[in-house]
Amino acid sequence: MRADVAHEAHVLVIGSGGAGVRAALEAVRYGDVLLVSKSVAGKGGCTPMAEGGYNAALREADSCVGHLEDTLKGGAYLNDLELVQVLVNEAPDRLQDLVRWGAVFDVTETCQVAQRSFGGQRFPRTCYAGDRTGHEMMMTLLEQLRASDVEVLQEVTVTDLLTREGAVVGAAVLDRTGRLEVIQADSTILATGGGSRVYDVSTNSATGTGDGYSLGYGAGAELIDMEMVQFHPTGAVYPYDARGRLVTEAVRGEGGILRNAKGERFMSRYDPERMELSTRDVVARAIAREIQEGRGTPRGGVYLDVTHLPAKQIEERLPVMLEQFLAFGVDIRKEPMEVSPTAHHFMGGLRITPSCQTTVRCLFACGEVAGGVHGANRLGGNSLAETQVFGKRAGEAAGRAPSRGQHPEQRQLDLIERRLEGLLSGMVNPVSVERKVQLAMWKGAGVFRTGPELTQTLTEVEKLGRKKLHAASKLNLAECMTVHHLCTTAMLVLKSALLRPESRGAHVRTDLTQAHDAANSPYGHTYLSQHRSGIEMKGGKP
Amino acid sequence: MGVRVFRLNPAREKEGKFRTYHVEVQEGARVLHVLHAIHAEDPTLSYRYCCGTGQCGSCAVRVDGEPKLACMTEARDGMTVEPLNLPVRKDLVVEMEPALAQIAPLLPKGQAECPAQEQIAAIKPLRDCIECLACVSVCPAMEVAEFAGPTAMRQGMRLALDPRDSGGRIPEAIRAGLFTCTTCQACWKVCPKDIQIPGKAIEKLRALANREGLTLPRHLEIVQLVKETGRTVPRTETSFLEQVDEVIEPAGPVKATVGFFVGCMYNLRLPKTALDAIEVLKRNGVRVIIPHEQVCCGSPLIRTGQLEYLPTLQGKNIECFTSRGIDTVMTMCAGCGSTLKNDYRTPFTVKDVNEILTEIGIEPPARLPLTVTYHDPCHLLRGQGIRDQPRALIRRVADLKEMAVVKCCGAGGGTRSGAPDVSRALALKRDEEIEKTGADCVISSCPFCEFHIGTFSETPVKNVTTLLLEGYRKKDEGKA
Repeated sequence: MRADVAHEAHVLVIGSGGAGVRAALEAVRYGDVLLVSKSVAGKGGCTPMAEGGYNAALREADSCVGHLEDTLKGGAYLNDLELVQVLVNEAPDRLQDLVRWGAVFDVTETCQVAQRSFGGQRFPRTCYAGDRTGHEMMMTLLEQLRASDVEVLQEVTVTDLLTREGAVVGAAVLDRTGRLEVIQADSTILATGGGSRVYDVSTNSATGTGDGYSLGYGAGAELIDMEMVQFHPTGAVYPYDARGRLVTEAVRGEGGILRNAKGERFMSRYDPERMELSTRDVVARAIAREIQEGRGTPRGGVYLDVTHLPAKQIEERLPVMLEQFLAFGVDIRKEPMEVSPTAHHFMGGLRITPSCQTTVRCLFACGEVAGGVHGANRLGGNSLAETQVFGKRAGEAAGRAPSRGQHPEQRQLDLIERRLEGLLSGMVNPVSVERKVQLAMWKGAGVFRTGPELTQTLTEVEKLGRKKLHAASKLNLAECMTVHHLCTTAMLVLKSALLRPESRGAHVRTDLTQAHDAANSPYGHTYLSQHRSGIEMKGGKP
Repeated sequence: MGVRVFRLNPAREKEGKFRTYHVEVQEGARVLHVLHAIHAEDPTLSYRYCCGTGQCGSCAVRVDGEPKLACMTEARDGMTVEPLNLPVRKDLVVEMEPALAQIAPLLPKGQAECPAQEQIAAIKPLRDCIECLACVSVCPAMEVAEFAGPTAMRQGMRLALDPRDSGGRIPEAIRAGLFTCTTCQACWKVCPKDIQIPGKAIEKLRALANREGLTLPRHLEIVQLVKETGRTVPRTETSFLEQVDEVIEPAGPVKATVGFFVGCMYNLRLPKTALDAIEVLKRNGVRVIIPHEQVCCGSPLIRTGQLEYLPTLQGKNIECFTSRGIDTVMTMCAGCGSTLKNDYRTPFTVKDVNEILTEIGIEPPARLPLTVTYHDPCHLLRGQGIRDQPRALIRRVADLKEMAVVKCCGAGGGTRSGAPDVSRALALKRDEEIEKTGADCVISSCPFCEFHIGTFSETPVKNVTTLLLEGYRKKDEGKA
């Protein structure tokens, strides 16, 4: 196995979801762009699966300040203020980009983009295309990608970011035949999405394995708030093998009601004011609690009911939900859905500046792989907006960065080659390691957490991470590297969770009592890199 | 659960083979979960998937021959899983990029104004596509013509409807093979998102082409003829209508009364076949009323996008049956039947002759010493969902040997006149399949198929009712 530089680009974009494609479309205005996609471009990632919508303050009666305040409150004030300002101020313009490129959003009678209510927001601010908003955005972006000069490498897996003198100079990738190739780039953008597949129950697509966190960590970047994992309140529970698939928040936005097995509308006990449209962390905990305390359905969920809504409303506003449940034998116009919490989104990620610069030179990050925008809990509709706002910023910053033409270090390439060769003679089936990590994480780092369980799970995951994975052929090398990334990501979540001695947003420690509420927490971001780790205290960096 | 899975590693072997696996999955598991279970034991199996919820279009495969999304299709013990009918890269993984590259991007005019609600409503049904390529994998025209394919046409129409797009979509669609589509509807029937590409894209693009003066000259001639004669076929011999009375009483007691919508082809090209059908109906107690002022159903106009004269035809046809108080109208042309059922708003029920004969229950014919095969007319199978009835009727008379694939013969959608090379190539491919069965005779139930296959096949072509009539004749000979 010998890797020479196979591709050179001014900007390398890793990831073909909403953020990656938006970044590539921006960066290509400044030079050659190579986009590498783990899936067939546009099919991986969570953007095409995002159902609900895109938050932007568009109306007179709404304001960016309102959007900002809702986001901070929803995020338990852990958000990076500067990043939130960027998000709310630029979300409307990035929406207009999509409209100009042909996105088919639902519109009002006066041809304005229509908006609906989503959890934790004072104004119906969520723009949508039925319940396939992300798919609509992805199709629009893909069309522009196909029309652009961006070069796309399909179905390749990044094994490592390549560095020289502390700066990222490209990436090592396995192509679809399992051959190792080297990509050299002046700037590299991570847009690899999230890592919720480290959990047994997850909404994420096959590519949500946290590759970007692992790659960034490996290159020396600092990650923040990795303990902040959003459990979406409503994941499907049946069929078992498809457990966790997302039941969009739009179902509750349209008026869906949650009931336990006893028929009680239990949200009145947890958030009587906002009820079903409370923030995701609150609803997820409420559902988990109902199930834990024996008021769940026989299949282990609670009921989510839209049967009181007119059939026409369900057909027009929730067509994907209707179709999916019909395929699984449930007509949601006539019977309730069964749902339970499911791992959905990583609020944490690589630490970035407002221009998406990470703590490592020449490495940028945007979308879910970056941290700081959503704080301790993300509002529904903010991540599609995030992909576009920060995708553009990352593309622009990377595009404007100078040309350097630096080669990767041979020493690192040799190490990568040796590791890949080792996989061919490994012993352990990667699938079994993946399953064990997912089960351990679900059990030990889920909706409710304790210190001892986190510590024990970390020991378990680190042990699994040291297993000598076996690649049955060169084609299986990518799978082994993915499991490596998954193990690293799980480890980052656990270590960060142990760094935060409080309950905040999505991170709930049931073994701690605390006097402060989120607004008065003394703590800031947790941070973690190969070089240091800790938790920031309010009123000053550590 | 036992499953047969197609395996092929082109780096090592030329021909694929099936391997049988036995795996455990939970109740309600999808095909994808079975593939996961197999992969956990045999990591050499390659397959694609991503979202697992029917939204990304990565995992389309053939399950028991039918293109399906693996993530949404319930697994079944004993099922067969194969790649889509596209070039195979390995096992269940096929080449997607060449087809995806055919999907045109919107060329922004510059302004960022949303279309109006009604424009959005028109675009939306064409926007659900997840680019799984199930449609591309079954398109017959793509096999023989330079045709960009169903989803490229869908996108062409989606762009043509969008005021933000600056592209010249109609000439582009024509260059990409708009007139090579036979409107066989195979693409629609395999679409996991149920996008009606022939009706909502192909025919609509042809209608826009018509407005831009880009309709094919041969198709323009059809409109001229129908305006002059009420028919899309010229009269070259004594027509069916010239040979029959308006009311035909059955031989025995009346079991049913139907109005008969004859259609241009049976009236003017294959009157003998229609007369055979009348004999069968008479024998089985069906009173047949045949309004002589009926005209073309308009199908050729719809398929070729020439809609201006259509309401005139529709009005005349509906009136001729309602004025006689007929509540069931029978068609025996698959194209007419599909048109009356799907493109008309009729105050009466429309049924195909196969449905009528099945419902009343026919007198048993004698068996003939024949092995026949059956060609499904697209507009009967997909246009009307009629698959089993003709087969059951055929089996009353002869042995039926099925062809390996169900596919368009190339007669429809105006291709016979507008793209004769494509039409011919498809008929020849169909003939190959017919030959493989070794059947004495090919049976169909559509005048377009019968006429078209008859032009290109050495094997005799007969209508279902003609075969039944032969069975009755043999029975009568036996008695005599």
